[in-house]
This record gives sequence, C-alpha cells and structure tokens, in this order.
Amino acid sequence: MRALGLFCPVVLMIAACSTPFPPPIGSSHPDETAPRRGGTLHLASFADVRTLDPAVASDDLASAMFEEIFAGLVDYDAQARIVPDLARRFEVSPDGLTYRFFMREGVRFHDGSELTAADVKRSIERALHPTTPNPAASLYDTIAGFDAYTSGKAEHLDGVVVEGQYVVAIRLKETDSRFLSVLALHPLRPVCPSAGDRYKDTWEPCGAGPYKLVPGSWDRGRSLVLTRHTGYFVPGLPYIDSIEWTLSMNRAGELYAFEDGNIDLTHDLGDAELEALRADPRWARFVSAEPDRTVDGEVMNTEIPPFDNIEVRRAVASAIDRGQYHSYKPESLSPSGQALPPAVVGYDPHFVGQTYDYDAALAHMAKAGFPYDPATGKGGYPRAIPYLLVRQGATEYTAQILQQDLAKIGLRLELHLVNWPTFLSLAYTRGAVAMAAPGWAMDYPDPSDFFESLFSSKAIQGEQSSNTAFYRSARVDDLVERARHELDPVARLALFTEANHIVCDDAPWAFTDTRRFEDVAQPYVRGFKPHPVWTFYTATTWLDRPGSARRDALGFLWSHPAQSLHTAARARLSGRSW
Amino acid sequence: MTRGRDERGSPSERFRRNRPALLGLALIGALVIFAALFPLLSSHDPFVSDFAHGIAPSGGPMPPGRAFLLGTDRIFRDELVRLAYGARLSLFIALSATLLATLVGAVVGILAGYFGGTTDFVLMRVVDVGLAFPFLLLVMAIGAALGKTTPETILLVLGLTGWLGTSRIIRSKTIQLRHAHFVVASRALGQSTTRILTLHVLPNVAGPLTVLATLSVAQMIVAESVLSYLGAGIAPPTPTWGHMLFEGQDVVLVAPWTLVAPAVAILVSVLAFNLVGEGLRDALDAQQMGRR
Amino acid sequence: MRRLVTKLVWAAFVIWAVVSLTFLIDNVLPSDPARMVAGPQARPADVARIREQLGLGRPLLVQYGAFVTRLVHVGPWHSPSGDAAHATCAALGPIHIDLGKSYQQRRAVIDILAERLPRTAMLAIAAVIVQSLLGISTGVLSAWAHRRALDRVIVGLSLIGISTPTFILGLGLQYVLARQLRILPVDGFGHTPVEHVLGVLLPALTLGIYGAASYTRIVRDDMIGLLRLDYVRTARAKGATEPAVVLRHALRNALLPIVTMLGLDLGSLVGGAVVTETLFRWPGIGAASVAALLDRDGPLIVGTVLVTSTAIVLTNVVVDLLYGVLDPEARG
Repeated sequence: MRALGLFCPVVLMIAACSTPFPPPIGSSHPDETAPRRGGTLHLASFADVRTLDPAVASDDLASAMFEEIFAGLVDYDAQARIVPDLARRFEVSPDGLTYRFFMREGVRFHDGSELTAADVKRSIERALHPTTPNPAASLYDTIAGFDAYTSGKAEHLDGVVVEGQYVVAIRLKETDSRFLSVLALHPLRPVCPSAGDRYKDTWEPCGAGPYKLVPGSWDRGRSLVLTRHTGYFVPGLPYIDSIEWTLSMNRAGELYAFEDGNIDLTHDLGDAELEALRADPRWARFVSAEPDRTVDGEVMNTEIPPFDNIEVRRAVASAIDRGQYHSYKPESLSPSGQALPPAVVGYDPHFVGQTYDYDAALAHMAKAGFPYDPATGKGGYPRAIPYLLVRQGATEYTAQILQQDLAKIGLRLELHLVNWPTFLSLAYTRGAVAMAAPGWAMDYPDPSDFFESLFSSKAIQGEQSSNTAFYRSARVDDLVERARHELDPVARLALFTEANHIVCDDAPWAFTDTRRFEDVAQPYVRGFKPHPVWTFYTATTWLDRPGSARRDALGFLWSHPAQSLHTAARARLSGRSW
Repeated sequence: MTRGRDERGSPSERFRRNRPALLGLALIGALVIFAALFPLLSSHDPFVSDFAHGIAPSGGPMPPGRAFLLGTDRIFRDELVRLAYGARLSLFIALSATLLATLVGAVVGILAGYFGGTTDFVLMRVVDVGLAFPFLLLVMAIGAALGKTTPETILLVLGLTGWLGTSRIIRSKTIQLRHAHFVVASRALGQSTTRILTLHVLPNVAGPLTVLATLSVAQMIVAESVLSYLGAGIAPPTPTWGHMLFEGQDVVLVAPWTLVAPAVAILVSVLAFNLVGEGLRDALDAQQMGRR
Repeated sequence: MRRLVTKLVWAAFVIWAVVSLTFLIDNVLPSDPARMVAGPQARPADVARIREQLGLGRPLLVQYGAFVTRLVHVGPWHSPSGDAAHATCAALGPIHIDLGKSYQQRRAVIDILAERLPRTAMLAIAAVIVQSLLGISTGVLSAWAHRRALDRVIVGLSLIGISTPTFILGLGLQYVLARQLRILPVDGFGHTPVEHVLGVLLPALTLGIYGAASYTRIVRDDMIGLLRLDYVRTARAKGATEPAVVLRHALRNALLPIVTMLGLDLGSLVGGAVVTETLFRWPGIGAASVAALLDRDGPLIVGTVLVTSTAIVLTNVVVDLLYGVLDPEARG
C-alpha cells in the first residue's frame, strides 16, 4: 500500500514537467533564394495507404502520393485553377462538347516508354472498365459512351478519341462545366504500359509524374520511398532527390521525430502542439494553414420526423453555438454557417449563412408546433431523436456539445455509437438515420462537388444517396442543373450562390464548421506552401539543410528537463557502494 | 502446507485479523458512499459543459482547483462528479454481471462435475469454444443483436462470458466432492439427487464460490473498463471510467488529470475487491481451493 | 496415444466451431464491405458496382459453402506463381489452406498472417521471459524473506500488479518511459532490428509485469510450503547453504506448475494481446484482428480468429496432457 502512496506523487511530478519545443534547425543558406538540388524529404503520416493504383484508391493519403507519381493531362495550380500539365495546351469546342488536348512530345513514363495519346485512352478505359473497383467512376459519366462501356456492352469507350500520336479528344454527351475539374483528379491519369488495360491488384504503380516508386521500396504499412524520375518532362524539376514516407506513425512519435529533425514536414500535429508552436516566436512562421477542404454539419434526414418539419430544422441551425464547437478544438475547427469550405473556388468569406440565435431558435420551435419553455423545461419534441455517430471518432465530443445545445430548445438527442463500417453502411441508406454528422470533404475545388452530391435530388439513387439528408428542392435542383451546363464562370457562380442561400435557409444541414489542417515545415524546407487541393504539394520545394541536421537518438535526453532527474539519479548511484 | 499463528480460529476471525483485507473492505465502503452520495452533494452536473468557467486561460481543460476539484474534462465538464457517476455504473455492472456469471458458472460446474459422462463432455466442449472465441466480436455481435449498448446489455455480455472459468473450478471441486464419503454414503442410501446437491454439494461449494465471486467483481470492473476503453461500452455522454481513460489519452500532455483520475479509480476499486477476495480465500483455507 | 488423438480431434472441432460462428456473426452484423472499400465519398452507383465485384450479393449458405470448401483443399504440389486459382493458398505439399483475400488490403490473408505471426510471437516470447524472470525471482525472494519487510513489499506490489488492468499499466509505462523520459519509443515496430527490440520492450514489460504479479504469488505460496518439507529440512541439517536449498530443492518443484501456466499464457498471448498490441501499435495478430473487426474485413477477421483459436486450443491440449501426467487428481 505504501508503494501506491509513492506512485501517485511521482507520476504527478513527472506530469508537471512541461515539454518546451527545442529550437528549430535552421536553413544552411537562409539568404539564398535560388533552389538547390538534392536531399531527401522525410514525411510521415498517421494513416496507412492501402493501394497506390489511381484507378481504385479513395483515401486522402493516396491522393497526396498520386500527385508525385502520376501526371495528368491537366492539373491544379497553386490557386486551384486548371492548367495544362501533360498537355501543352487544350481547347474546348464552342458547343462545349469536345475537349481536345495537344500533348507534349517526348514525355517518358517511369519505365522509359514514351507517353502518347494511345496511352491516355488506354488508361482512361482501364480506370472506367466494369471490372475495376473504381469508387469515383461516376464523376466521369458525361463522357460519351460511358454507360455502354461501364455496363460491359461496348468494347471501348467511344467518347475518347485518339486523333493523332499526340492529340486526344474527349467528347461529352452533354455540356459539363465541371469536366476539367474532375479530369484534373487522379483516377484517369495515364499509367505505364505495364498496367495493361485491365485492373490487376498486383501491378506496381508506375506513371509519368516527378517521382517514381522503385520496386521493393514500398514496405507495406511501414514506409515508402519515392525517387526522382530523371525523365520528368519539366526540366530541372523536381529539386529533391527522394521522398521518404513513414506510414502508420502515431502522433506522439511524429511530434518527437519532427522535433528531432527526422521529419521535415507534417500536418498531423495535435491542437495543443500547434498552439505551442504558434506561440513560440522561433517557430511561428513555419506553421501555415491549409485552406479548409471539409464541411461539417449536423445532417437532418428530411424524411424522418421531426426533421421533415422545416421549422424544426431552422431551429436546430439557430440553436448551435458554433463558438462552443470551436472552443474544444480551436486549431482545427473554424466555425462556419454555409455549405462551402474556403478551399472551393468561388467561396465567399463574407456570406454568413446560418448563425447562432437562441431566441430565433425558440421562435422556430414554436412555429413548428413544439414550443419549449426554458424556464420550466416543458414542451419541445416529445420523443428522443437517435443520433448516429462513430465511436471514438472526431464527432464524439461535438455530439455531446450538440446534445446540450439542443436540450435547451426542447430537443432530446440519444447518441448511438457504432463503428465506422456500420456507420458507413447506414449513413447513406434511406430511412436508417435521423441525424448524423458525416461531413463532406472536397473532391475537387468546385461548388458543384458539394451541391450535386449533397443537395441535389439526383444524388438520391433508389435506397442509397450521398445526399444524406434526402433533401429535395426543385429550386436547388434547377439551379444545379443549369450550373452544370453554364460555361460562363461568373454566371455559374451566381447560380451556386443562390443555391447556397436556399440551402442555408431550408437547413437540411445545420452547418457547424470547416476542418482545417496546419502544415508545419522545418526552416530548411524551402519553397513549400500549402496547396488548396493536394496535401504536401512539393513540386517546387527544395531542401537547404545543414550536414548534421539530425539529432542522434539519445540526444534529446540531454535537451530535456528530465535530464536533471537522469543526472541526479546517476550521481546517487555512483556514490553508493553495493 | 503447514501454517502458523494465522490459522487459528474460525474463518471470520481469520478474516478480521487480515489487515489488508479489512483495508479492502474499507475502500469498498468508501467507494459505495462516494458513488451513492457525491453526485447528490456536488453542485456540478456531469452532463453539462461549463464554457464560462471550465476553460483554462490557455484554452484547454481547467486543471484541478477550487471550482473543479479534479479539473474538467475535454469538453469542460467536472471530472470528479463524472468519476462518481462512473463509479455507480462500474459497481452496478460489475456486481450484477458477477451475480449472473457466478450463478451460471455454479450451475454448469456442478452439473458437469456431478453427473459426469455426456453432460460433462458436452458442457466442457461449450466452455472450450467459449474460451477460444474472440471476446470483442462477441460483444459487437450481442450489441448489434440487441440494438444498442445499455448497462443491461453490457452486464449480459460480461455475465455470459464470465462464467467459463468459474464453471471449470466448481466442476473440479464437485468432482472431489462426488468421491467424498458422505456423498457416496448418501447415494448408497438412495437419497435423491436434488437432496444431495442441496444438502451436501452446495454448502461445500459455497465457500470457494464466494471467493471466486469477489475476485470476479474485480475482473468485471476491469472488463467493463476495457470495453469502454475500446469504445464498445456504454454510449457517451454517460461517464464510464474506461471511456474517461480513453478521452484522457489524447490530451495527456496538457491535461494529465483527465487520464490519472479514472486510472487511479479503476486501480483502487480493483485492488479493494482483490484484497477482500484474497482475505476470504485465506480465511477459508487455501488448501480446499486446490490450484488455480 | 489414444487420448492424444481424441484430444486433437476435439481440438479441431472446437476450432471449426469457433471459425464458423465467427463467419456467421460477421455476415449477420450490419455492414457494407463494399462501402468500406469505396470510402465515404463514393457515389451509390460506384459502391453498387464494387459490391458486385466483391461477390457479396450471394446468399449466406452459398458463401459459407464456398468458404469451407476452399479453406482446406487438395491442390497441386507446386503451383506456378501466376496460377489465379491457388494464388492465395498456403501449400503444405498437396494440402492447400486458403483464407481468401482481404477486402481492404487486397492481399492474401495467408500473407498478412504470415507477416504478422512472427511479430506477435516475438512479443509473446518477450513477455513470457519478463513474466517468468520477474515472477519467479520475486516469488523466490518473497518466500525466502517470508514475513519480513521485503516479503510484505513484494506481496503488496504483486497485489497492485494484478489489480492494474494491462492497458492502464501500459498507459502508465508509456506515459512515464516514452512520453516524459523518452527513453523508449512510444509505440510501433520500427524498421531496424534495434528498433524492433526497443519497440517490444514497453509492450513486453506491460504484459510481463501483469503476468509476473500472479506468478509471484504462486511461486511464493509453493515455495513457502516446500521450504518446510522434510527433505528440505534434511538438506539443511546436512549443511547445505541456504541459496542451494532454495534453488536446487524447492524451486525445482515449484517450477512444475509454473511451466504449465507458462504454456497456457504463451498460447493466449499468441492468441493476441489485443489491447496491448493496439495500445502500442504493435503490428501483430491482435492488432490485425481489431483492425479487421473495425473495418469489417470478413476474410481477415476469420483468418485472425483461426490463428488465435488454434493457438489457444492447441496449447490447452498440450497443457491438459502435461497436467494429466503430472497431477493425477486433475484427471476427473
């Protein structure tokens, strides 16, 4: 029992020792601006990547890697505008139905073979083949011949035409203003001839991007090494020799590795660490925020009571104090009341959308037919509302805050925790979930990604829907449909702005926040800026690193306050004779 | 095994002399009082976040202090009153699950040990399958079948999986008894099985069963906290020690009290029941128990 | 010999029962592996296509039949590497064992298990070493110092040890040794042999300390008794020194039950110290089973359950036989 008495104070004492950040390892030539070639960039990630085949992957981490390994006809620049990449230039026909790409000549794949228009067609057909488990295939359903090809009725995809050795044209069956945006994504990017024309899960990823994956350098679940593709079509790039990615690293380990200079760039740090870094004048300017790409909100199923009542939904949207959500995770949740996140082209930061207004919330509840009296606690909606969430996920805490906020207007939530797979199987199914917060991450930086997937009735396909609120509005559907065919960007944006207003008012979602990641780079990582679409966009990044930058494994012991404990212990031991 | 001074007197006298066991009893008493009374006395609500006073100047949870004796948790609710609520749940679930598990284990063990033959064989195969079965999957299955996790479903799960070890021990004890002379004599005299079981077997099994039950409470507290820790326990916002432990892990560097408080609570409760269980076992003479 | 055969046959039955139950439960729980593979952003049409490709639409009995017939079947001795029919099999001569392909990792389950089993074995062996060294030495010490201060301290510590759930012990060790003092890695397996060894220390210590706590008491109890037995008294009378008495005579006999317990523990450790592997992100079978359960990766769930139940059941058989040999009383 005495041992117990000793244990607690020791633990608390150790707990009281704070952990200051060590000084950053500086750049060797801070005043030079000309990029230097060479070096290895060390990255790490909490997540693992399951597959590196661009035709089938669906996770964020894979996207970051695809940008290095595969080049596409078009890509996004630093302002998220579409620019030609593998294509020298492209032209769109006046009727908006044909996109013609004039490719660069002499572009080499990683295996040395030349990339021609035939490879473009082969890669597109491979990605959209009926046997390929492509989770994003329907993004391309406006290509002529898509239906016939993906159902197996046609041998080839008619809409993709090879017009010359370096000219390829893609014909659409209807005007599609988002086509270039989705083409710039990874699924259709050209892959080496070794990939063949069918999906095989044993294929070693190989493309035409600035880095290549040397066979044997992917240690599953552990690490991945990308090496410079010397035949990359942009001369001089990339500056860095290789990128070493450590996978499935835990957050604490990443933090320590970053402090020691063993990781050069990370975006996985926790809120407490980010706050500490921002407060430290030596580190502050190396912390940069990525534009927020994910919208969070409480999704209310408009087909299930009480959320079939628009006033109840409006009440919920006004009852949430978004500042409270923010207070629990200040570095990564930015309060927001509208349907679009900042990373989307056309985002309006001045548009306020839904706001916290407790009195208005009570008024809406009264109008809905469920008046609630906060003084007596009487009234409100009589039944408990089941709220579905993923156990031990990010929404666990916000759900509990939401519960408290909604209790104040007479709505009682009952939290149902399920695991991720169960959540996924229920969230998109009709009639299964009254309220949940699945969120939506941007696939491509265009408002159509949000409005078509979340608020258009076309997204409801039978019993399944990505429009998890099962929301139907003829006006929104009309605006979205018109925007699909509207090729003038200004007019298009006006359509989406109107749709945004309607959605905020109809409140199928009570928008709460957008999620932000912050990148922290070592000072010797030069030329890096967060990209609106790609995580770790390193095309123009270079390393300016002192020779012995890495601290040795035990080195940190001496730079730590616990050092005094350690040295004190050693002193006592050496003084005693056994 | 010879014993010295400690072995004199009746079992209750031996127990009363056992100081660690008495400490355990005292701790259990304190725990029960804490669980029952503290939530009534505290001015804080375990389900309400205090955004005004519960946030420290740095933006994180408030450290232990006058307003919040054990500080606040991640979303700024009073840690101490949540600990007390968690105590209620842990005790309720552990005690009820133990009751269920002990009952089932005793019945199965006695039946298998007394009747032997096919009954024994079949029952012991069921035990084998149960012991080899992945616990987590079973929890998820029962939870899914019953809809949602409530204290009742948890105690069902724990009770229905916790009887396996008990049944084996009671079985071997019953086998020993079956060969004991008074049982043999009773059978020879033609006494009914029920009489033999109630008059001879049960009383002799009661001692070890009590010890097993007490130790089992300790194991149930641990099992419930493991389930809550892994996220398979009772849904938030209801406080459970295991879940509080899980929540504390993320913020341990800035708010270590959120991790230390539930850890110490679990440790002390389990220790208390173990001390009492050990004391009971020593008091009832370890030789009868056989090896575990 | 007959006993051995009977026991093995029933062991096989138990394993089959456990695996089948797992298969059943996994298929009955609500989930959508196709949605798991496609991810949350995929549109319903794409998810539907993937569902068809994974063959998940067939009735349960058909799927179970396919599973069982593939599980153990006879195939060619050496199948060429491109042979699709036997690509996911492990071959022992003509006998093939096929656990299918993981939905998430798109690799043969056999390969995943083969990769992870050595790591769990490494952890299990390290834990058992810590457990036995710590447990036996403290038990012996405690028995030798019976009723003195050292004995009380050790008994007290061992009580605390068995009262501390492994994951709390693990969290505590991790917090002190890895996060504050930073002398050991927080978790993970590492990339070099040195990192492997450093990485196994914390989880092995966690499991070992917990196990040692119960060993201590058993060794202590047995040793106290044995130290008073006649033949030990005789040895003392003959002038043997105390350490010799303790080690040579008493300990040897106390070790017998320990060895059998070690066997059981090894089996259940291989069965997967699930919580510890998860806490320390040790990429073994336990962690794989939790990940598979959480991902609803059916083939991998069944594969890990097969391995863990086999380990538990087989070591039970071995220990049962040892018990039968050593302790006639247990042969009920």
